[in-house]
Amino acid sequence: MKELEKPDTAALRAKYPDAFERPAAARLATPAMIAAALAVFIFGLHDLGFEPAKFIAGLKQLGWITMMMIPPDPGTSLPLYLKALGETLSIALLGTTLAATLALPVSLLAARNIVPPNIIRFPVRRFLDSIRGVDTLIWALVWINVVGLGPFAGVLAIMVSDFGALGKLFSEAIEAADKKQVEGIRASGGNAFHEIRFGLMPQVLPVIAGQVLYFIESNTRSASIIGIVGAGGIGLQLAEQIRVLEWQKVSFLVLMILVAVAAIDFISGKLRFAIIGRRAVA
Amino acid sequence: MLVVEGLTCRFGAKAAVDGASFEIAPGGFVGVIGRSGAGKSTLLRTINRLATPTEGRILFDGVDVTALRGKELRQWRARAAMIFQQFNLVGRLDVLTNVLMGRLAAMPAWRSLTQAWLEEDKALAMSALEQFDMASLAAQRTDQLSGGQQQRVAIARALVQQPDLILADEPIASLDPRNTKIVMDALLRINKHFGITVICNLHSLDLARSYCDRLIGMAAGRVVFDGAPSALTEHVARELYDLEASEVMGGVPLPVPEAVPALGTAAAA
Ligand SMILES: Nc1ncnc2c1ncn2[C@@H]1O[C@H](COP(=O)(O)OP(=O)(O)OP(=O)(O)O)[C@@H](O)[C@H]1O
Ligand SMILES: [Mg+2]
Repeated sequence: MKELEKPDTAALRAKYPDAFERPAAARLATPAMIAAALAVFIFGLHDLGFEPAKFIAGLKQLGWITMMMIPPDPGTSLPLYLKALGETLSIALLGTTLAATLALPVSLLAARNIVPPNIIRFPVRRFLDSIRGVDTLIWALVWINVVGLGPFAGVLAIMVSDFGALGKLFSEAIEAADKKQVEGIRASGGNAFHEIRFGLMPQVLPVIAGQVLYFIESNTRSASIIGIVGAGGIGLQLAEQIRVLEWQKVSFLVLMILVAVAAIDFISGKLRFAIIGRRAVA
Repeated sequence: MLVVEGLTCRFGAKAAVDGASFEIAPGGFVGVIGRSGAGKSTLLRTINRLATPTEGRILFDGVDVTALRGKELRQWRARAAMIFQQFNLVGRLDVLTNVLMGRLAAMPAWRSLTQAWLEEDKALAMSALEQFDMASLAAQRTDQLSGGQQQRVAIARALVQQPDLILADEPIASLDPRNTKIVMDALLRINKHFGITVICNLHSLDLARSYCDRLIGMAAGRVVFDGAPSALTEHVARELYDLEASEVMGGVPLPVPEAVPALGTAAAA
């Protein structure tokens, strides 16, 4: 390659001073941010009473528990555990599906390209945010008090908390959609529903489907945890066995959850690919 | 008869279209020319009402199009079919469904939203595709087609709207010479065969001169030329494009410059 003509540095510097002189504030921003983060971290360690000695003493206990876990053994409770695992999977599946069904129409109200006036969008967004701000576990505790112990409370807990999360994700996917395709429908004389149904949904549905599949997968884990507080499923069994120190059963249950999550991960990966590669999402 | 009276469209303080007035008789093939940013796209978009005019009126057969709302507005949009530079087709829908979008304004909502297309609408769509040699690709996903094929699908969509007017915004700007000819010929055929008025934004003066029977020249939002292509003198072209006129018109293939322009001069040209 031929070399470029040597530019006149002084003249260019005089012409575009901003490009050459980065202000001091901009240059110092990164080091200042790193120093601040470090300070917060050290303060946190101190304030939370982090003591290495306590941790090292506990390590012995941890090692003992690990030894007790081997080999994993369900005893005679395998059928019970399988049923509990099935329950957990249904909680995750039902909860997420219901959450997505509710979130889709609401997410349209939160998307700038569907509802331009801020007066509507702002409250909808804050509403989704506040629901999302409360963790699934808290929602489980709430619903257990409303509908009693059991999987129904678990389904409601996942439905409500993920309604907030999915609503926000969906509205972002909708805002990222290509405007030109929607405009093509409008220019042909389509109404607002046509614009959404034919201009927007074909673009957005594959993204949404991927998000829902991911949530089903991650909710399999959440469903095990909310089981611990009494919302049904395998978590309930897990909590009980930890309480009575049946470590072999505990490790078996943990393995069951791992295998289930891995299986769902595998299936949802395949499904996601199939949806995105599909000929037409009509 | 399309009548545009003192049409102005402002974005903030900037007037993209500034007091444009002209009349277009049915059956014309009108080219809109002018340099980038002159307001050509905005003019077409206000006629279709994708953009809302700030001042002025657009009348079609005596009806004030600028006052239309709701269903009547959507029916006007269907009558003033738009063709875009970027095609604006729905990529993940198949070709036939995209063409059927042109029928949306003419059917009840339940029918379109459940995709219970009428047999005769499908026939209309297929015959439109057939006219542009696209019928065999009806089941293909649209984003898998080439640019020229997509633009033909877009023209088929416009055609099934059974429009009075076709507004084409630089329909060939992203196409190669062969597809340019195919698409321009398709527009010409619609114009001559069905008598549909075509208003077409073009960047190439040569194309404008060979296809259009009238040219409207715009500069900074104003209409500065309106007449037959033969009346477009070098002087006017120079004013329109702010260029040496020989660079715009003149020899059909642009002469290859003898020396590669030095860095920095390319942007000014
Ligand atoms: N939605 C908008 N918001 C703000 N300004 C706009 C908008 N649309 C167009 N403009 C401005 O209006 C002017 C005219 O734009 P327009 O797209 O109509 O030009 P054009 O003649 O089609 O140019 P080109 O040949 O590059 O397509 C430009 O200065 C543009 O920046
Ligand atoms: Mg334009």
